[in-house]
Amino acid sequence: MTAALIALLLPLFTALCLLLLRSRSGVLVIVTSLLTLLAAAWSLYDVTVNGPQWLELGDWPPPLAIRFQLQPITALLLVFSAMIHLLVAVYAAGSQHSKTRYTDFWPLSCLLQGSLNALWLSGDLFNWYVTLELLGLAAVALVALSGRKAYGPALNYLLLSLGASLVYLLGVALAYGRYGVLDISLLGAMTEADTTTRIAWWLMTLGLMLKAALWPFHLWLPRAHASAPTAVSALLSALVVKGPLFILWRLWSEGAPTELAVEAGPVLAVAGIAALILGGWSALRTPWLKSLVAYSTVAQLGYALMALGLLMYWQLPALDAALWLFVLAHGLAKASMFLAAGELQASLGSKRVSALRGTTETMPVAMFAFAVAGGSLIGLPPSGGFLAKWLLLEPMFETVNHWPWVVGILLGTLISAGYVFRVVALAFDRADPVPPDFSPDRFAHWLALLPALVVWGLALISEPLIHWLTGVPL
Amino acid sequence: MTQVLFYLILGVCLWALGLYGLLRLKESIRRIISVNIMGSGVFMVMVALAARSEDPDPVMHALVVTGLVVAISATAFALRLSVADVQEDDQ
Repeated sequence: MTAALIALLLPLFTALCLLLLRSRSGVLVIVTSLLTLLAAAWSLYDVTVNGPQWLELGDWPPPLAIRFQLQPITALLLVFSAMIHLLVAVYAAGSQHSKTRYTDFWPLSCLLQGSLNALWLSGDLFNWYVTLELLGLAAVALVALSGRKAYGPALNYLLLSLGASLVYLLGVALAYGRYGVLDISLLGAMTEADTTTRIAWWLMTLGLMLKAALWPFHLWLPRAHASAPTAVSALLSALVVKGPLFILWRLWSEGAPTELAVEAGPVLAVAGIAALILGGWSALRTPWLKSLVAYSTVAQLGYALMALGLLMYWQLPALDAALWLFVLAHGLAKASMFLAAGELQASLGSKRVSALRGTTETMPVAMFAFAVAGGSLIGLPPSGGFLAKWLLLEPMFETVNHWPWVVGILLGTLISAGYVFRVVALAFDRADPVPPDFSPDRFAHWLALLPALVVWGLALISEPLIHWLTGVPL
Repeated sequence: MTQVLFYLILGVCLWALGLYGLLRLKESIRRIISVNIMGSGVFMVMVALAARSEDPDPVMHALVVTGLVVAISATAFALRLSVADVQEDDQ
């Protein structure tokens, strides 16, 4: 638990130090991120050896206590967010095209990481509300870093995020009014399938779906993610949208009575399929490169939502592994894709997809990173995306009646392949390549390739990873 | 109980009104006000729920105070962003 607390406090203190000292030092943030990663890795080791742990803040006994919980999945997410944050920090400090080098990016990204780590560790409805607000405020401020053009999308993001929090908060108020506790594990033992509970859970779900940009509440995401600086887009797509998803998962798999979960499962799963198809369709149609990547986030979140919905509907804890593998694989692949896309468009001096013609010749490493990450998004074996999809498909193969879900996944895969190959095919059109306006930055290209390779590397450790994930006690 | 019920219903109405404004209005200042109305609605529900027993529930009050702090900081940030947005348009 100590290691997890260090992983939570280090980024917070770094952010405060940077603000107080008026320093915008990227090196300091990289060093802290590295230390945070080590602390997170230590907490992962600790939780695997010693089992789940609780920390009661201020030594208050429950139900008054605000408890921090360290579970295996929490520790894994701590490591995951520290990894992505370290990678993005190195990119933001090292790339020639990074527009965030001496800006407020550094304290804000540390705050973002701190609030996200607090979110993973919390297990209390109201504490989640506070961490969600912290996360949202830091994310909006990061989007606004790209200057005047981003103010409009940033404001829209902020207002919708606040509105979503208040929808969630009304649900929390109803749940507390009905049961008198906020701790999710205590709630899990008490909840009954009555009308108040149903309304409360649906209000919280709607708020979280808006926050996580799950279909049909995704409309704010492409504008916000595409108008942010490249390093920020990577952080937002890889990490921030996963926070509300985590709460949604805890809410339904731990807090809700079984009847309610079974009832709500199909709705969420159908919304997931709609996200896959409609988000993918928008990604196929958009003329802008970053919008394409942002719409692909909407589509890919559909898989996670579908895994969550089916997990609730069939009451299959085995699908937990599929859900979290999707989150990990998508986070890594999307960080890679956004960094590659940002580098490509900065070197080419154009934000259009059509400018990518012939980039396999002019910037092969960046394009390779984009394609490799895309392969994991499509679910080509042996990538992390394939593993997750296989786990999701497994229970569907066992029962004949489950075929409609398989059709949904197939359609989603087809569309993902469509928007990835749309870019890759253009990049291989070498007859008349678009010459880059600015010199490409090789270091940044290799950096973008790194997480994509890690995603494919997940396949090498797939068996122990799946065993470890399915063995996660709730 | 009837008094509590009155404030509960009033709170939910305010919340719904604010939500409608947030989704339907275009000008940023009106949307910021809408979010604040939504917030007031939720806080009213929470205070009304706390007043159900003879001794008002202190946990609910603590939640409302925390929520107010969050709402004020977020509103300040939203106002600054909307002002910056308008100023950039004028230039």
